[in-house]
Amino acid sequence: MSRGQMKLGAFLMAGGHHVAAWRHPDAHAPAGTDIDHFIGLAQLAERGKFDMIFVEDAAAIRERNPEMASQAGRSTSFEPLSLLAALAVNTTHIGLVATASTTYTEPYGLARAFATLDQLSGGRAGWNLVTSASELEAENFASSGLRPHSERYERAQEFADAALALWDGVEEGAYLPAGGDSFADRSKLHPLHHQGKHFAVEGILESPRSPQGRPIMVQAGASDVGKELAARTADVVFAASQTKAEAQAYYADVKARLGKYGRSTDDLKVMPGISPIVAATEDEAKAKQRALQELIPDAVGVALLASYLSIQDLSAYPLDGPLPDMPPTNLIQSRQQLIIDLGRRENLSIRELARHFAGARGHWQVVGTPVQIADAMEERFLDGAADGFNVMAPIFPSGLEDFVTLVVPELRRRGLFRSDYEGKTLRDNLGVAALT
Amino acid sequence: MILGYSLTPFGHHPAAWQQAGDTQNLSFGSLLRQAASAEEAGFDFILLADRLGQRPAQDLSSVAVPFEPSLLASALATRTSRIGIVVAAATRQHEPYNLARRFASLDWISKGRGGWLVVPTPEDETRDLEYVDVVSALWDSWEDDAFLYDKAAGRFFDPAKMHVLNHNGPHFSVRGPLNVNRSPQGKPVVASMPGDGGWELAAKAGELLLLQAKTPEELVDQAGIMLQALQAAGRDRQAVRLVADIVPVIGDTAGTQPTAALHLAGTPAAIADRMQELAAAASLDGFTILPPTLDMAARFVLEVVPELKRRGLLGGQGTTLRERLGLARPAHPAARRETAR
Repeated sequence: MSRGQMKLGAFLMAGGHHVAAWRHPDAHAPAGTDIDHFIGLAQLAERGKFDMIFVEDAAAIRERNPEMASQAGRSTSFEPLSLLAALAVNTTHIGLVATASTTYTEPYGLARAFATLDQLSGGRAGWNLVTSASELEAENFASSGLRPHSERYERAQEFADAALALWDGVEEGAYLPAGGDSFADRSKLHPLHHQGKHFAVEGILESPRSPQGRPIMVQAGASDVGKELAARTADVVFAASQTKAEAQAYYADVKARLGKYGRSTDDLKVMPGISPIVAATEDEAKAKQRALQELIPDAVGVALLASYLSIQDLSAYPLDGPLPDMPPTNLIQSRQQLIIDLGRRENLSIRELARHFAGARGHWQVVGTPVQIADAMEERFLDGAADGFNVMAPIFPSGLEDFVTLVVPELRRRGLFRSDYEGKTLRDNLGVAALT
Repeated sequence: MILGYSLTPFGHHPAAWQQAGDTQNLSFGSLLRQAASAEEAGFDFILLADRLGQRPAQDLSSVAVPFEPSLLASALATRTSRIGIVVAAATRQHEPYNLARRFASLDWISKGRGGWLVVPTPEDETRDLEYVDVVSALWDSWEDDAFLYDKAAGRFFDPAKMHVLNHNGPHFSVRGPLNVNRSPQGKPVVASMPGDGGWELAAKAGELLLLQAKTPEELVDQAGIMLQALQAAGRDRQAVRLVADIVPVIGDTAGTQPTAALHLAGTPAAIADRMQELAAAASLDGFTILPPTLDMAARFVLEVVPELKRRGLLGGQGTTLRERLGLARPAHPAARRETAR
């Protein structure tokens, strides 16, 4: 059966996705505050005909321990909506997806911000809805109250509904009706009167209707309630899956939930992350990976490994020894087991495991030639594990350049990826119908 | 003389859209053309006033830009290079941490041309004072030289130069630090528009003080109140810039309606005269131009600006908004402590 073509996102991050990317000679270390760096990356991804660029977000620094934080390159960055607004007017076709939390913002302001991004880009905006789980974020908004998981999701659902209603509040042609004596056609304005448990939202957005109907909705929900929200409201889900079996199970699960909302399986694109390290030969690719792994400070790598294993601390154990035995936890068990299994199977020390997992920060990593990487992507695409991929280049700009110049042509040769954009809006290019 | 340009799609006159009514006016391209023209003419800043935080209940306004202004500002920033961009944002519409990030990001994206016009919460000045303090302190989360980028040693920043705020006040509890580096201007410029209230906030925290009056007498009064409040707050006159809104009407004044702002009508030379007189009478540093129509904006640029230049009144220098306004770059508190030692 023909699967059509895959969708590609370029997940941007200042220096690169590899935890030690900023230390690499190719890396532009001050990238996090350099708008020209990001404009260059967006234009590069657009030359590669990527569907979208994507930026993640946290309303806080990411590491509490200053000593540890100071050895990693990810403490500061542009606020994502500001960044994408700047990129919108320096690109023409690529989608622009910003992460924003429903926990520490309010629906009117955020819906307005995404409507603006959509207008600035001519219909290329997307919103990755998250609910902010971290304590460091909560402490920056302590005056607005801490919120447990269930309440965060309840709030997120009400938030998403209010945002959708605000985007639908202004019909096409509401501004400057032909031959009219008034600035707005009031019959095309539908003020929202929302009184819910979490919000009261009144009024209309001062913005013409989105060229793509509504901004694209993205989610990464892994919990049951998250997957349900995605099935009801999302156009794209980003999933973090290591193994093919895990990815297939997630894919099937999310797609099976669409029917009850009257949606077809094509209406939601599943795009797991992939961390590719590519070079002309396999040996070169492995050497590239090694060079990056050696730049990971042991303290940073081991702390990340401990967090993936959901345990407090690994520093009491010798770095060159094996992982200690540990009881299973009820959090992200599959990833924990994966790490333990790999360590046993390949007889890896704590240091080696730390480097292995910290490098790609737990995402699916593929190291090899353009043909090998295209093979891996094609297999998951054809076998019902993905509709496309969110590409996490280990290092910017060189990792994205490598992908655009080496892997994209190989995917194209196989008929798996576009040679030119199908349309002007992100929704057109993704080929997803607007929710009604 | 400082010159600002208040940006609207059609002009500030409520009927301006009827003269030049076209949906193209609402586009980014059209707003960019206005901003670029103001930059080319030598204006020091554009103002995105955002109807001072009013959200539309059921109708659209022809004097509102159809964009969230802080994001429009980031977009405009990448397509201009010298003009400052001052953006209104209401303290009741953003959490302080979110607002601090947004404006620090704007300052980086614009390479030091960002300003925040504080839109206060009515009748809650103590909350606003705390709000502005928190935002200002978040902008000092990192010292200017905190980021080392030392690849060989594996040290991205110097942990001693990161400052955790740990603010616990009556209205806000914010840990910090901000996840944006200290910005090119140290801090974005803080603008304030005192009116019915807000004098204390303007006097304590404002740097660019925007006055709105209907008559010259009212303007002189307002400037007097402002300068007194500034003195009472223990701040130096040189720490602020006092700028008044004016609506220029060149030539024939028939058909214009008085709006809330002060109209100056006449020939280009007469308008320049009036600006000089007002500046002297009210101790002003400059004006924000509220063009009633885009045609009038173009005429102001073509006819009044050269007249002001001939008189040697324009010619702001610098690439950051602070430089153009002649305001000092605020030193980081840690650097100030260092100097005091």
